Amino acid sequence: MDTPSLLYPPTFRSKFRAFLAIARKDWKQYWRYPLNAVSTVFQPVIWLAPVYFMGMAFSTDGKALGFAQYSGTTDYMSFLILGAILGNFVNAVFWGMGYALKNDMDAGVMESNWLTPVPRLLILMGRSVTNLFVTTITSLGMLVICYFVFGFKVTGDVGQALLAIIPMLIALYGFGFAFAGLVLLMREANTLVDTSSFMVQVFSGTDFPINVLPKWLLPISLLIPLTYGLDATRGLLLKTNTILSIGVEIALLFVFMVVFLWFGSWAFHRVERKVRSLGTLGQH
Amino acid sequence: MTIQTLPLTRSLGRPSFLANWRALAAVMKREWVIFLRYPSWVISLFIWPVIFPLSYIFTAHALSGKNGIGLAQFYSITGIKDYAGYMAIGTIIWMWQNVVLWNVGGSLRNEQMRGTLESNWLSPTWRFAYLLGSSAPQLLSMLMFLTVSAIEFVFIFGVQFEGSLWLTLLAILLAIPSIYGLGFAFASIVINVKEANAFVFLVRGMVMVFCGITYPISILPEWMRHVSAWLPQTYIIHAVRTAALSDEGLPAIAFDLKMLALFGVLWLTLGYIAFTWMERRARRTGAIGQY
Repeated sequence: MDTPSLLYPPTFRSKFRAFLAIARKDWKQYWRYPLNAVSTVFQPVIWLAPVYFMGMAFSTDGKALGFAQYSGTTDYMSFLILGAILGNFVNAVFWGMGYALKNDMDAGVMESNWLTPVPRLLILMGRSVTNLFVTTITSLGMLVICYFVFGFKVTGDVGQALLAIIPMLIALYGFGFAFAGLVLLMREANTLVDTSSFMVQVFSGTDFPINVLPKWLLPISLLIPLTYGLDATRGLLLKTNTILSIGVEIALLFVFMVVFLWFGSWAFHRVERKVRSLGTLGQH
Repeated sequence: MTIQTLPLTRSLGRPSFLANWRALAAVMKREWVIFLRYPSWVISLFIWPVIFPLSYIFTAHALSGKNGIGLAQFYSITGIKDYAGYMAIGTIIWMWQNVVLWNVGGSLRNEQMRGTLESNWLSPTWRFAYLLGSSAPQLLSMLMFLTVSAIEFVFIFGVQFEGSLWLTLLAILLAIPSIYGLGFAFASIVINVKEANAFVFLVRGMVMVFCGITYPISILPEWMRHVSAWLPQTYIIHAVRTAALSDEGLPAIAFDLKMLALFGVLWLTLGYIAFTWMERRARRTGAIGQY
């Protein structure tokens, strides 16, 4: 007699199907509001405009000589554009992963999703994949616009820069797991998401070289992996001054990647268990 | 048994002035209760005035250079050395408009999303009270926000307000009709078009690009300066900045104040017209309950 397979635990294939279904659902939802989708490409470009004109007010004959004293380049726009591109991924992690659960709570589907026999971390991973894919596409679109509008150009090796970018992104998404757990716990997450994503970007130096920070603020920057990712990427692509040697920064990024992946999934599981025992999953 | 019909002095469909006023007060009270129910606004109140300008201030610091070569250039264009105050005031006005767009502009849309807009619309109430009522507590919280911001600018960024307090307050007062009129018009459009986020991004993006939140308008290309001249936020930023940071007095901002008065009337009228149009259109198409 054949042993009927149970509905739980799910097989690897069924997990993969669930993963794809989640990613597809987010993809459909994203394009359901086409104006919003298109605006995500233009939005970071708009944020660059005030800094572009501000840079002009501080420049002599189109050269930001003061900026070069801190960063090693007068091309402050390329410096900022790289910061904005990587900043897109920070926003994607905070809003796409952290706030996605809050949206599910508001829509009233969180509890029912949680009842399905799918590993909860997989639900989060499914959401991250679409998020990562959409952010990559919008960032590429943004690069094209910046090339024409601001004359963005890189002089370094893009392949080498990927060595810094990939572990940084994995670390960032690992952190996103822990952050999603925090959102589950706090529920009213708008302020939390908004302020933390903004502060991470400020302190990691998306808009300026971090050596302009006062000495007492510098340690905060040095604790954020994004700081090294940004610094190494700019060093490799724009030949800017770096805080540490690029090799050390990349090694640090790999360490951060492992630590954040482990910590993120551990923290998410802990918080998720806590929230289930409190019974607050359906509340918002 | 005979059924008697009681003669009503007024139709339920035509509420009295007092009833409208009570409805407005009820909406204001409801919004205030909701506002207090989520205390995370306290964090925003203290954190955002510091962290939002911070990024621009550090970028300006980097652009200034170690020996101040960039700052000398900035001073020659703007006449202001205190770049922290310059950035802080520009960004705070942008934040004011941004919050009004989300909160006032999104108030009807939020009701629509919650599913309560249609039932509210069916009550014999002055419908503009819903929009006006949600704006009043918001205005109060924004005035609190501006006060806290000014104090934090002094103590954290070392901004020196060397201008006139009364002129600054006058500029802020004249800014209110334009900012909230735009919010009313925005709320009316969003309820029909639905994609609130995209519209907020568009409007606040225009303020960010054209109104000189971190730079003088004179640095813009000519075509962009023409666009700036049609946006009230350009005059708000210039007036508040000049009134608060310099001792040039009323003559330096007289033109800005005149333009703000004109824009105020224009945007309040446009806001009301847009609302009336939306109200009629939504009833005709039945779009009010959709989301």
